[in-house]
Amino acid sequence: MRALRQALLILLAALVPAGLTAAFHPRRAAWTQDKLLPGEVELQTVLAWGSDVLWVDARSLKDYEAEHVPGAILLNLEDWEQLFPRFVDQWRPEQKVVVYCSSTSCELSHEVAERLKANGIAPVFVLKGGWEAWKNRK
Amino acid sequence: MRTLLFLLWAFAGSAFGQLAWENPEQTFNSKPQDASVVAKYRFTNNGKESIKIENVKTSCGCTTAALTKTEYAPGESGEIEAKFIFAGRTGRQEKAIMVTTSVAPKEPTVLRLVVNIEEPVKIQPEIVFWRVGDQPDPKTIHIAVADDSPAKIASVESDNPAVKVQLKEVKPGKEYEVQVTPASVTQPGGATLLIRTDGDNPQTKYAYVRIK
Repeated sequence: MRALRQALLILLAALVPAGLTAAFHPRRAAWTQDKLLPGEVELQTVLAWGSDVLWVDARSLKDYEAEHVPGAILLNLEDWEQLFPRFVDQWRPEQKVVVYCSSTSCELSHEVAERLKANGIAPVFVLKGGWEAWKNRK
Repeated sequence: MRTLLFLLWAFAGSAFGQLAWENPEQTFNSKPQDASVVAKYRFTNNGKESIKIENVKTSCGCTTAALTKTEYAPGESGEIEAKFIFAGRTGRQEKAIMVTTSVAPKEPTVLRLVVNIEEPVKIQPEIVFWRVGDQPDPKTIHIAVADDSPAKIASVESDNPAVKVQLKEVKPGKEYEVQVTPASVTQPGGATLLIRTDGDNPQTKYAYVRIK
């Protein structure tokens, strides 16, 4: 009985620093997966929607020409005035628009999505993970 | 209890020795003729040991941060320079610069750069559309000319005679409304609207009309 009590005390004593480490240590482990930001969508969800999706590539012309999601059209802020007319012709009302840029840390897809929404285009989503997610799909 | 106090002291210790930043959040208001802004973030090592800046990462490719050196002795100051090239962006832009140091490699300091980019001529929305079978009710496009811009809207023209446009000056030289009315929306079609400015540097901007 005494041994059990001692074991419990040792366990409790270990839990305190472990808890503090988990909560505050600069190199603490990540316990949760990255959440979706507002307007973001996972690749699996987009693939489940089927073919009625208009893919928008918000990267540079160079990156787009190197490789892009099949059927995606190029639309970035830098050349917006030249590229927007093509979007206007391709897009249909109520069609889901999915914008992507290079990776999770890239903000360009969010910026393009916001500008499309400001023009009354809906629904517009941002692909979480961007082109990297597409490349790494299984 | 003594153990707990020791642990709290030990963890609190990790919060010290960081870099002290003078202006970690900076806001700029740009003029229509500006193409970029440069923000300088000054810091001092207030700790008792050298601090190494291990990484400077920006929230998008448009901001570049340059560092002259990476290791800073106690009491030493330095500066991180971030250049934000507008590249077609307009309105309020918020960018982040993440600075990772040897003191807290998993918890980068986030510097913020806010830029309000004024657009010489802002058209909102850039597209108006009707679904086939809708009522052909008029729709309005708003045009705003920046306060610093000498330009005025000279004319708005539709390249399709079946789409009528009417330009109305709301606030002289600064705010306009374009009323767009299609003759019919029984089949797909559209038009491009040419919005022309006058002044020393006349320009043509575009808005789009679609029946889908």
